[in-house]
Amino acid sequence: MGRLLEPQNPQHRLSPNITTIASIVYNETSSDSIWDKLKGALLNSLAFVAVITVTTFILVLLFYFRCTKFLKFYMGFSAFVVLGFMGGEIALFLIRVFSFPIDCVTFVVILFNFAVVGVLAVFVPKMPILVTQGYMVVIGMLVAYWFTMLPEWTTWALLVALALYDLAAVLLPGGPLRLLVELAMSRDEEIPALVYEARPVNYHDVDPRTANVARTLWRGRNSGSGSGSVEISDSNSSPEVWLSDGGGGEGRETRVVVVGEGQNSEALPELLAPLVNRELEGPGTRVDCGGEGNASMDGWAIEGIGLGSSGAIKLGLGDFIFYSVLVGRAAMYDFMTVYACYLAIIAGLGITLMLLAFYRKALPALPVSILLGSFGTRNAAHRQIPLARAGSRLGRFLRHEQGRALARARPRLGTSKAYFGKGESPTGGMGKEARKTLEHALANHAKARPMDGL
Amino acid sequence: MESGQSIGGGGAESTTGIVHRSSVPRRPIWPTIDGPIGLSDEESLSYARRFFKFGFLLLPWLWAVNCFYFWPVLRHSPAFPRIHHYVVRSAIGFAVFTVLLGSWALTFAIGGERLFGPVWKQLVMYNVAEKFGLTGWY
Repeated sequence: MGRLLEPQNPQHRLSPNITTIASIVYNETSSDSIWDKLKGALLNSLAFVAVITVTTFILVLLFYFRCTKFLKFYMGFSAFVVLGFMGGEIALFLIRVFSFPIDCVTFVVILFNFAVVGVLAVFVPKMPILVTQGYMVVIGMLVAYWFTMLPEWTTWALLVALALYDLAAVLLPGGPLRLLVELAMSRDEEIPALVYEARPVNYHDVDPRTANVARTLWRGRNSGSGSGSVEISDSNSSPEVWLSDGGGGEGRETRVVVVGEGQNSEALPELLAPLVNRELEGPGTRVDCGGEGNASMDGWAIEGIGLGSSGAIKLGLGDFIFYSVLVGRAAMYDFMTVYACYLAIIAGLGITLMLLAFYRKALPALPVSILLGSFGTRNAAHRQIPLARAGSRLGRFLRHEQGRALARARPRLGTSKAYFGKGESPTGGMGKEARKTLEHALANHAKARPMDGL
Repeated sequence: MESGQSIGGGGAESTTGIVHRSSVPRRPIWPTIDGPIGLSDEESLSYARRFFKFGFLLLPWLWAVNCFYFWPVLRHSPAFPRIHHYVVRSAIGFAVFTVLLGSWALTFAIGGERLFGPVWKQLVMYNVAEKFGLTGWY
């Protein structure tokens, strides 16, 4: 999805061989009226969401027909394009702005290295976790940078439209993402997509013979059938409580013990309860937590929200991209909007993860964060920043007035120790006239700027 | 919390015999920096070998990633002789390449036109980008 879009900013010179889907319906210019802008933005975002829906359905179809190789190849290719071309673009832009005297040979070698290792991080299943995570973040950043070049109203409309699309695609029974998740879970496969995988929660060192079967680490599984850890109240109960409806329950508890001995590796897949946030490359993002129905997750969910077939929380790259777009847009106003937006998004993500633990099914990761982020940004831009500016201006003014009043009061008092005696108020040492001046100034200022909404 | 040894009701178990050094009674040493969730021993060998060979395609960064990935091997070298072989060579390759590339880049940047003459202007990246219109996208 990101590869298809090269946003065309009408303020800059147009490049004939670059088209844009996000602005395909309407190119916003600053001279249009508000109503036109709104209409155009809505049409743009609808077109974009339509394209995304179609793409996601194609993805579901491909996954259904098990064209996994093609999908993986496509992922690697898009990672290469993003890292090589978009990353190179931005690097060139920076080099030009700072007139960095790098020569083309060095630049090409460095860029080539960066891009190829990034593709390997996507393809190769077991790269170092930090490297993979770093590259995912960089890819998300680069795509988001290009998205922020869309016109403003289109961006906001797009974000809201995508949040709604995400909600629909994940929760509605016919939604493409829900189909994808169910397919993947029924086949017990991973969705071939660009996802950011958080480091698995590691409570015990794992026998490497079972390591590749389970990046799943279950706390207390090595401690046998009865004695779990103290924090999990469930685990002290009998095993059948926490080995629920997954079928064929007999002998399950022995599996627990056996797993603890590290011998029986095939037992582990049955105990796997994927709790993952998955997402495709597109913005149809969702936070996915699917229970294989093998264990009651109450205790585990609190402890290890990061349990899954690969034992980790996965957040789709589309989520990353649109969070970053939101923050990028906020950054175009002021620093304070960035902080407000960032905090709002993190809060949204936290809420989503809590809901994930609660509902234990696929959840969309976009809506809550984008809602909070948009409100936070608007609030910061239109209320907090003017308020903060007014406040700091008032503070400066008051200090200035106090200084003047003090200067006027000084000749009356003569010696310096006459005022500011112990326990006296700051205005205590002033003459009556000085104090009156100060109060007058305060009253005036308060009248001039009524601070409602404080 | 014990490391992957016998725990609780598990009884006596044999832990991963491969990486466990009998002289070290504590936790087993994992070849990768990811520790227990990383690669197993045989996989590590094949990964190290493949990264080393691929690095010859002008990919010193891959060698660096190789060294980073198998950092425990560099630290506890007697435990993994075969992996150590590849990782050390990757480290050497990365160092050599970096020195060469770095010295070239520094010469280019610091020497500038005084050293290279008019060729400098043709080689420097922002001019090359302008010439090929690479920055013309926005």
